[in-house]
Amino acid sequence: MSLMENIKMALSSLKAHKLRSVLTMLGIIIGVGAVIIVVAIGQGGEAVLKSQITGAGNTVELFYQPSEEELQANPSVLYEAAFTSEDIRMLETIPEVKQVVASSSEYSSIRYREQTGDSSVFGINQAYMDLNNLEIEEGQGFSEADFRSGRRAALISYSLQEKFFEGQSPIGEVIRIGNQPVEIIGVLAKPTGLFAFGSMDIYLPFNTWKMVFGKDDVTQMTLQATSADHIQAVAEKATFQLNQLHNTEDSYMVINMEEMAEGIGQITRIMTIIIGSIAGISLFVGGIGVMNIMLVSVTERTREIGIRMALGATRTQVLTQFLIEAIILTLIGGMIGILLGWGVSGIVASFAGWPSLISWQVVVGGIVFSMVIGIIFGLLPANKASKLDPIEALRYE
Amino acid sequence: MIELRDIRKTYTVGKEQIDVLKSIRLTIEEGEFTAIMGPSGSGKSTLMNIIGCLDKQTSGQYLLNGENISDYEDTALARVRNQSIGFVFQQFQLLPRLTALRNVELPMIYNGIGKRERLERAAEALRKVGLSDRMEHLPNALSGGQKQRVAIARAIVNQPQIILADEPTGALDTKTSISIMEQFVKLNEEGTTVVLVTHEPEIADYTNRTITVRDGEIVANDGRR
Repeated sequence: MSLMENIKMALSSLKAHKLRSVLTMLGIIIGVGAVIIVVAIGQGGEAVLKSQITGAGNTVELFYQPSEEELQANPSVLYEAAFTSEDIRMLETIPEVKQVVASSSEYSSIRYREQTGDSSVFGINQAYMDLNNLEIEEGQGFSEADFRSGRRAALISYSLQEKFFEGQSPIGEVIRIGNQPVEIIGVLAKPTGLFAFGSMDIYLPFNTWKMVFGKDDVTQMTLQATSADHIQAVAEKATFQLNQLHNTEDSYMVINMEEMAEGIGQITRIMTIIIGSIAGISLFVGGIGVMNIMLVSVTERTREIGIRMALGATRTQVLTQFLIEAIILTLIGGMIGILLGWGVSGIVASFAGWPSLISWQVVVGGIVFSMVIGIIFGLLPANKASKLDPIEALRYE
Repeated sequence: MIELRDIRKTYTVGKEQIDVLKSIRLTIEEGEFTAIMGPSGSGKSTLMNIIGCLDKQTSGQYLLNGENISDYEDTALARVRNQSIGFVFQQFQLLPRLTALRNVELPMIYNGIGKRERLERAAEALRKVGLSDRMEHLPNALSGGQKQRVAIARAIVNQPQIILADEPTGALDTKTSISIMEQFVKLNEEGTTVVLVTHEPEIADYTNRTITVRDGEIVANDGRR
């Protein structure tokens, strides 16, 4: 008897008990669906977390961690800015560096007419604008000329606009940082995303910031590599050159965002495994459901088994018949489960605003796993069927 | 064709041994039409099951076509049932969810015959028993006599040498019984060896030979004709 014959026989027998077949499949459908959903959402979430951490990507952040000797030689070194404009010019000459993202920040009192407040004031360069995706809600951003000339222009954050201008347009208004006047040319869009919270910020072109605060400090520096493959080279060259220039020993270091993202990826993977194994338990329970129904089915069809044996079915053929029924049951259940998981994770992802990632490995794994469950849990009932005594089975009422 | 040598069948119930068949010696030649009679509990059904390879004797030898099949494995016995023997039961034993045609097709599935040939031969067998207009009916849409004719069609479809019928008319009225018996007579006339188990003398009268079993022994073996 061919496999095709067996499969057709199994299908017609499952079709004969539609309700029961569907109910049995339900356990597998839910189990496979749950596993798919957990894995898809887990992988989607991981991708979102990673991209939020690494930003536009391919970046390394430089920082300065003074050694014991340096601290003893100059105790206030921690409060001084670690980088200078000279460093930027030097780092820009490294061939693998696409751009140097530099910013300085200072906390300052601000004043607009009679209102006063405190705000972080950032001096930024052109690369910072590109990399950090600062979106302009109203007005316009800095032009190249603004960066070069040090025009007294400012971008303010959405929160600052809300507090000082209460819905009126701030464009063209003059705000004072300390005593220095700057003209507001744009308002930034309200930040979105995981780590966004509205703070009062003012952004100035780097040259303007130098004039306003009268110093040439760079507090934060990030290098963007030309490609992901060059991140390591950029990190090594930059730290080597900085340490040489500042005459320090390994005090200039990098925080590789990729590494951090990898760490977070590991955490989400562990979470996915934990939740996934809980979902796996429901798949296991579904398998036991299949076994139960198949056992009932074998008892109920005792006479059929007797007839088939009398007509010449071997024990192996009877075993195969019931095993294939179990496998088809779990296979169809598994496929419906995959569709269900795909649909639900798509819906969840669209609400959460992150991608649902269903890889072909997960789909193939789901199908293979549900078949394996069919074999494991179908074996006991099928074996029971094949061991029946044909005479007893024929007499069974 | 069928040769039983000192066939014994013993069941052990608790500590007691029950001899269902005691040293049965029996030969049935090709083309014979034989009835096995006896009261219930006489062992005639057990004898029938052993002849049909559904049961195995405790001791003794069973030769089918000169071949000793006493030591055959389950798989080999299933082959013998499939190809050499056709069963007809009192309770018809049709699969309720399959049409008449599909029921008749079953033995050929286990014989590895291709789909087209199966359907042709199943239709031919049903035509032979006069049911060509009932092929697509499910068993519960058929009368008792029709069901038994489907069962006969199923029994002959693999062209076995032997038809074994266990009380084939036991669930049928007299008129239907006659038409069923005529089917067996016809099959026998075409050369098939027919063995039937019955406790009705009128049914046994259709046959050429009556074997009477009582308490596990053959007490009478009358050939007619």
